[in-house]
Amino acid sequence: MNRSLGARLNRDWPLLAMTAPAALLLLVFHYVPTLGNVIAFQDYNPFMGNSALDAFLHSDWIGLGNFETLFDDSAFWDAVRNTLSITLFQLVFFFPLPIILAILLSSVASAKLRSFVQSVSYLPHFFSWVLVITFFVQMLGGAGLLAQELRRHDLPMWDVMTNPSTFIILVTSEAVWKDVGWGTIIFLAALAGIDPSLYEAAAVDGAGRWRRLWHVTLPGIRSVAVLLLILRLGDGLSVGFEQYILQREAVGRQAAEVLDTYVYYQAIIPQQWGLGAAAGLFKAGIGLALILIANKIAHGLGEQGVYSSR
Amino acid sequence: MGAGAVAGFGLGLGGWHVGCSKRASAQGAATSAAEIAALLPECRPVQLVLPDIEAQQPLPNGYLKYPSPLVRAIADRPGRSGRTIKTMSPWWGPTPPGLGRNAFLDAVNTELGISVNPSVQDGNTFADKLSAMLGARDVPDVLAAPMWEIDKIPRFADAVKALFADLTEFLSGKAVRAFPMLATLPTVAWQYCVWGGRLAAVPFPRDNPFPWALFYRKDLTDRAGVGVPKTIDELYAFGKAMTDPARGVWAFGGIFDMIQMLFKCPGSKGGWRKRVGGGLEYKFETAEFRQALEFTSRLFKDGMVHPDLVASKGGDAMQLFHGGKIIAVQNGLGAWAGSQSEQSKVTAGYNIQPMPIFSALGGDPLAWGAQDPVFYTFIKKGLGKERTQEILRVLDWCAAPFGSTEYELNAYGVEGRHFTRAEDGSPVPTDLGRRELAGQYSFIGGRVPVIVATADVPHFVQDFFAYTTSTIRYLEQDLFEGIKIALPPNYSKTIIATEDKLNDVLRGRRPLSDLHQIVREWRNSGGDEGRAFLEKTLIRNGR
Repeated sequence: MNRSLGARLNRDWPLLAMTAPAALLLLVFHYVPTLGNVIAFQDYNPFMGNSALDAFLHSDWIGLGNFETLFDDSAFWDAVRNTLSITLFQLVFFFPLPIILAILLSSVASAKLRSFVQSVSYLPHFFSWVLVITFFVQMLGGAGLLAQELRRHDLPMWDVMTNPSTFIILVTSEAVWKDVGWGTIIFLAALAGIDPSLYEAAAVDGAGRWRRLWHVTLPGIRSVAVLLLILRLGDGLSVGFEQYILQREAVGRQAAEVLDTYVYYQAIIPQQWGLGAAAGLFKAGIGLALILIANKIAHGLGEQGVYSSR
Repeated sequence: MGAGAVAGFGLGLGGWHVGCSKRASAQGAATSAAEIAALLPECRPVQLVLPDIEAQQPLPNGYLKYPSPLVRAIADRPGRSGRTIKTMSPWWGPTPPGLGRNAFLDAVNTELGISVNPSVQDGNTFADKLSAMLGARDVPDVLAAPMWEIDKIPRFADAVKALFADLTEFLSGKAVRAFPMLATLPTVAWQYCVWGGRLAAVPFPRDNPFPWALFYRKDLTDRAGVGVPKTIDELYAFGKAMTDPARGVWAFGGIFDMIQMLFKCPGSKGGWRKRVGGGLEYKFETAEFRQALEFTSRLFKDGMVHPDLVASKGGDAMQLFHGGKIIAVQNGLGAWAGSQSEQSKVTAGYNIQPMPIFSALGGDPLAWGAQDPVFYTFIKKGLGKERTQEILRVLDWCAAPFGSTEYELNAYGVEGRHFTRAEDGSPVPTDLGRRELAGQYSFIGGRVPVIVATADVPHFVQDFFAYTTSTIRYLEQDLFEGIKIALPPNYSKTIIATEDKLNDVLRGRRPLSDLHQIVREWRNSGGDEGRAFLEKTLIRNGR
């Protein structure tokens, strides 16, 4: 039944009013800044003309020149490769951990113990990266606690903070230490949403612990897990910034340069804004493609995914 | 993060036609010494107190006794409009309390007759703030920025033209007489305040020409019975002797610049010298640099560099030095007196001294030198003539020389609150003084530099002149002296990328034999472009 626009407005205006601030926020802080992407196609000089807008209008158009510079730069591809390796590594070795921890937590019977473990594991999430890395350096660095103990007992040194070949394990461990607890929140909510009668029915049918996990728990959180996985994939070319910039010198550019640090060193510091915007666009393009593909696959497997066209 | 976050929507790359487009093309620029000379302010020195040590340029005058009584240098209050002046300046230390919670600011603002509201930013990350601020064209009324950050910014002449006031009409030639204290600043420093043919900044002149010194903890080496190294082998032995991991002590912080200097790598404009047979060569291309790289990578390999500095960018060498965890660091001479004064209160017997320089290759040593100012202070464009003059009067107040009451208030704060007087009459900072003073006024306006004896750092003046006068004999002639140079962006960019690669060699992640390839990449990605630009600049200046 098609109502007239006026009638629909009349009916829906409280809802529209409620969404308006969020829509405005999105417009002002996301869609308008998106227009700034034009500088990816300019030899952007922020000091042209009399205002920032003038600078956009008067900078030279150089077509795809910035992208050519970018794609010609082997350091850029190093950064892309590092970023993707870290993302893939963390998909395998980080992504499942919050799920496991959440299942373990939800099976702890004592509410007191459970909330204690939760609080302790959430806490590191609120530490800044500077603090987390300082903590790791103080513990595992060459002048840290572990190194001093090893020295005292004349044991061989274990060089983990400055070893480029194990850097990917180091950053993943840091990320796990910082965020695994925080990551459980959403899965705990999903677990709480599973109907307890399903467990009872399965138990009556003779299902043991593992069978209940496999046939009730995991299917119960599958749609949430898939949703998070797709979102993570879309963000695949962002692995964080502070964590890498802080440790970049320790292991070198070859191992630690990710796309965001590349943009910082090659575009922001030397003020090559056009090049930085080009790298940002590249990143967004790949991210969008990854989301679309992952979503398609999710649909194929009968999941809802992030959105559905139906 | 910055431009990375700018991207909002995706575009398929597949169908793009690549090949018919231009690359970004910012050029370098140089203003010749002759053009600059026509713009310079008249120099009218004012000497309120006769110096005990009258030094030759580029060294400052020295004072062994604190003068009394002080002289009032400026009669009128600089501020008239009553409108707050917002400033931004760097500081290497804890952030001081802001306006309204800071008695030092209140005291100086009362004296100025106007409210100056400083935003003091961490000097180590100043470039990040500066880049974003310039890119957004959003600058405060007064901006003081270190010259080494300004030098890295491509198209800075464009930025000056778009964002900062042209001070030529106020300061050039005789016009500077309206600001008699600014007129005392040395001509050498003003030479570098020209961009695009306009006088655009007020300089903070340096008090010595040396960018680096190698400081060591004399109290600790004396206790260990280790002497001051006089050869490069002795420096290595010094490192071996002073490193004691079991006690958490390592000999060195990052000292690669100093090692390059000891190996006599060239230092003009970052490292250029004339090549035998014509043209210029950069330090990366020299045998001296290769040796310096090899030596420093040995220091890393043999575990003489503090692991915290090896492991993280966050490691603070000076803090570890103060704690006795590092024995030798490189720093500017400007860090000397402050470190001694502050740490004497923390560590009994604390003694920081610069190591006399020597040549790693035999013969005379080489001292890198520079004459450009430490900071440049810019005034925002479009404030109007009267407001600009008012701000210049505030900077004029800040430029009042040693021996004036203004200088004392600027440098030490209020007697009884921020400092007390020692028996010899010299000011000694109190805890409040150390907390509240952070260069809020001294960094936005330079003064004629002086070295003054104060009771909190006894012997400093003697030590300072002993070091500088013995080092100045070996000062390298700056090829580009008095020429204002904006380097080509491709060149500045490739320096950053190459330093990353050299870091890999230093830390042993790449073999020394890769140096050849690193230099070739450097040449192709902007090094040769920089060379051609600088060679042309020299020819145009008849050098």
